[in-house]
Amino acid sequence: MTGFIECRNVGKTYESASGAVEALRGINLDCAPGEFVCLLGLSGCGKSTLLQIIAGLETASDGAVVIGGHELDGPSPLTSVVFQDHGLFPWMTVRKNVAFNMKAAGVKPVERAARTDELLEMTRLTAVADRYPHELSGGMRQRVGIARALTTRPKALLMDEPFGALDAQTRGHLQEELLRIWETQRTTVLFVTHGIDEAVFLADRIVVFSPRPGRISAVVEVDLPRPRDPESPGFMALSRSLRHKLVPDLQGAPLG
Amino acid sequence: MATSALESVAVPGIAAKRRQSVGASRFAPKRLLGLLPLVVVLVAWQIATLAEIYPPVLLPSPERVAMAFVVDYQDILFNAFASVTRVIIGVSIAFCVAVPAGLMIGRYRTLDMLSDWTIQIFRSVPPISLIPMALLFFGIGDKPAIVLIFLAALWPLLINTIFGVRGIERTLITVAKAARASEWLIFRDIILPAAMPAVFTGLRLGIGGGWLTVVTAEMIAVKSGLGYMILNAQLTFRSELIVAGIVIIGAIGLLADQGIRSLRAHVCRWQDGLTAAAE
Repeated sequence: MTGFIECRNVGKTYESASGAVEALRGINLDCAPGEFVCLLGLSGCGKSTLLQIIAGLETASDGAVVIGGHELDGPSPLTSVVFQDHGLFPWMTVRKNVAFNMKAAGVKPVERAARTDELLEMTRLTAVADRYPHELSGGMRQRVGIARALTTRPKALLMDEPFGALDAQTRGHLQEELLRIWETQRTTVLFVTHGIDEAVFLADRIVVFSPRPGRISAVVEVDLPRPRDPESPGFMALSRSLRHKLVPDLQGAPLG
Repeated sequence: MATSALESVAVPGIAAKRRQSVGASRFAPKRLLGLLPLVVVLVAWQIATLAEIYPPVLLPSPERVAMAFVVDYQDILFNAFASVTRVIIGVSIAFCVAVPAGLMIGRYRTLDMLSDWTIQIFRSVPPISLIPMALLFFGIGDKPAIVLIFLAALWPLLINTIFGVRGIERTLITVAKAARASEWLIFRDIILPAAMPAVFTGLRLGIGGGWLTVVTAEMIAVKSGLGYMILNAQLTFRSELIVAGIVIIGAIGLLADQGIRSLRAHVCRWQDGLTAAAE
């Protein structure tokens, strides 16, 4: 069976002042509908670049991305992006931020308002609907980002280290919340992270990247039952083996 | 539920502080501090006239100026109205031209390349130096004055709008693109509001420049307005009317600036608590 998101031999080369830099080489990746896939790697391994390409925000230098059977040419209506630094518009209230993607998609105002209320409810943001983003905590801001992404009923959520800037406790809460939403919505999730535990906690499948040039070095199925306990032996064993898969990168890396 | 703890993490106090800063602070007793330098000037003036440092023909006493406001109030009102109307018209036209142009120039690199040198050259020309030419082209009347005010307000509005667009966080444009927002929506919902604080800075400078220009232009190019009134008062040796004119020019300048500030505070209220406040 072919995946909902397919990357076929995707490569990306940047032209820089000091010559061409190969950020990605030969990426082949299939995500099944409803699958939760984590792209795991150290910084600079191209995992975020791949997500940008799948989001239609960057173009691949080689290969192609197919989403829902259509070859990608710019951002797809079937996907929504959740950004690393939440990307909320500071001049819009929470409600307007949540409604923005629908506005961009041409959804009628009445329908927009109803769907916004629904999503505010689902992400428990109703009480702060009329606040501005800077009046919220980091965790709440990212929930606004997630709510906004979900409004257009995307078939896939593309999440670029969405919880990277949060403290450990808030991150834990949001991970649970994300799984709860994912289980009810059954969207495909492509989740970029450098956190091994985060990947093991969330993913059905973990795709491990290694740098220079960015490429897939391992694919690991996670068959631990949910909800997963980070203290359980299975969880810890998997984390340890992933750490070994990531560490060889460090040995070859130049210092600093 | 695990997330209930999160709800309470919402930054407390900021919202409350915001409401307070918009409403209360303008009327706080501290605000009256602003009157202190004015009182000092008034007292110095009074002493200077009592001591007759200058003859009363040159430096009228505060009472005589106050009397001028009573005796000549019709004249003052009429001329003030003429000046204010010109500035409103000139600045409004400048606003309607500069803001859309600035948004476009700020957004598109080619337009920036195209216009940058021209803007830098023309904004260096003081509008007052264009009075002779304006007179040649438009004769005596409202037209040359309004054209000069337009030019005085255009450049600060344009440059600040461009500057405002440049300052937009890149991510926010990316967010809109990822959501497949149209270019029009990007302009209206992202670029314009993001540039709004800078547009207001441009508007303050533009109105200030327009106001300076109108008074000068009226001394030469028009037969009404506060500039004309002051010049005329000089010709008829009415020093108290000159000073009354200066006082009203300053007062209107202050009012206009305060008005723009409150408008900005309202339109850009999302900025409260984001920007650094003075201690």
